[in-house]
Amino acid sequence: MNLKFIAAHSWLTGAGSLKSTWMYMISSMGFPLSLLFIVGVLSDGALLPYALVGGLVSVVATNGITTMADLGMFKFEYMYKDLIVTSKASPIDYMLGVMLADLFWSLPAIFIYFILDILFGILTPYAFVMSILVSVLVLLSTASLGFVLTSLVKHQRFVWAITGMLSLVMMVFPPTFYPYKYLPHFVLLILSISPTTPAAVLMQGFFGLAPTLWYMLYILVAETIIFFFVAKYLTIWRER
Amino acid sequence: MIKVNKLTKRYSDKTIALKNVSFKLDKKITSVIGRNGAGKTTLIKILSTQLAPTSGSAFVNGIDVVENPNQVRKIAVSIPQEAKPIDYITPFDAVRLYLSARGVWLHESKKAAEDALKKVGLWDARNKLAYELSGGMKRKVFVAMAIAADAEVVFLDEPTTGLDPFSRVEVWAAIKAIKGQVILTTHYMEEAQALSDDVLMIESGKIIAQGNVKQLLKPFSGLVRIESQKKRHKSYKVGNTWISYVKKAEANSFVGKEDIIKPVTLDDLFIRRGVNLES
Repeated sequence: MNLKFIAAHSWLTGAGSLKSTWMYMISSMGFPLSLLFIVGVLSDGALLPYALVGGLVSVVATNGITTMADLGMFKFEYMYKDLIVTSKASPIDYMLGVMLADLFWSLPAIFIYFILDILFGILTPYAFVMSILVSVLVLLSTASLGFVLTSLVKHQRFVWAITGMLSLVMMVFPPTFYPYKYLPHFVLLILSISPTTPAAVLMQGFFGLAPTLWYMLYILVAETIIFFFVAKYLTIWRER
Repeated sequence: MIKVNKLTKRYSDKTIALKNVSFKLDKKITSVIGRNGAGKTTLIKILSTQLAPTSGSAFVNGIDVVENPNQVRKIAVSIPQEAKPIDYITPFDAVRLYLSARGVWLHESKKAAEDALKKVGLWDARNKLAYELSGGMKRKVFVAMAIAADAEVVFLDEPTTGLDPFSRVEVWAAIKAIKGQVILTTHYMEEAQALSDDVLMIESGKIIAQGNVKQLLKPFSGLVRIESQKKRHKSYKVGNTWISYVKKAEANSFVGKEDIIKPVTLDDLFIRRGVNLES
């Protein structure tokens, strides 16, 4: 693993460029905060804690989707991926570097969600630790999925189309902004194909909003491992 | 040194980009010249381990690009065609970022990045964001990466495409500052003539000639090119123009009022070859 590249990429194109690309920070908050607002208004505040908890999952998943969009830009616009292939960086180094760079833009949104969770009195030390664990798994699984998909497409327009679809599949359908109990069990299992579903279910449990379905942790861990290994071994790094 | 043996590349859509090519490159700067679609980029991509060949073998400084791509990646740099520096970072950071991919910690890459930017004339622009740079400056950022990397072999795919003549000359000077062996592709014949110790001519996936510019132009020794709108004896049609070759001393008596006399360049090898292929 080329830690030098991962650190340099995440620092220079993430933290180092926050000043020149601050608008991305705002945009990464836009979608989850909008849904939070809508859910809060429509439920007269009743579902606000669910939306607050799910919003955190949503921000992290947005980060994964942004990673995919950036990987597309790097591949098709800058030819950066081709530049990096002939170097000591591996596909996973490349993916992690881009993912962590994007994380710098999402940090303010994640911070805001934790503050809101504190203000609404639902954040406990246990919930905090477990939500970090879940966030890491969601981040890795969504970024890996995005990386594989980007390696398969031939044009940036397809990347935009896929990221739009992924936003629906990962953030609107799964119970990120509403109680998972609203869904029949078999629907919940079908929706578990998106890592955000087990993540949201677990978060609702960890924050004391619903019973914790521990088997969802196994699903999330399994998906993260599968997506990560698919990214490691099936990504088209050297073209055929 | 680059050694290629019976290399073939057939894409999934059945296009054959390289047809059983074999050659050896051991000069300091080699230009691979050919028209668009001739197979230049495919060749560079295979040699720089970005693309797998269909058959045949290729070695970069004795390392097999198919069997040991990771070893090749340690000693080679490849600058892709139409690559752009990431818009929102500076040339200084772009070079340091690239060095990190080559295994250098960020805090250790400062001097190499500074030296390289000075060599390519980008020192004054080192802290500008990349989107503020001109096209020529952007290309020079990549040449600075190649210089800073101090690699044994550097592949440059059409490094000056789309640049104005002044920027091209500046990029040529930067390319000459690269220490390692340079293999560049171009379809500008004057670029190949200005830069290369060796020229590899490629057409429809086949190598049609190799040698230095002087050797390649030997068949045209003492001749000039006449461009005319009218067909003459032994002339070759390119677009709407008829091209013929006459002795320099006889040129003025040979040409009509609207004809143009030009010195022979590497273009003429393709013109002759193209006509031969058609016939």
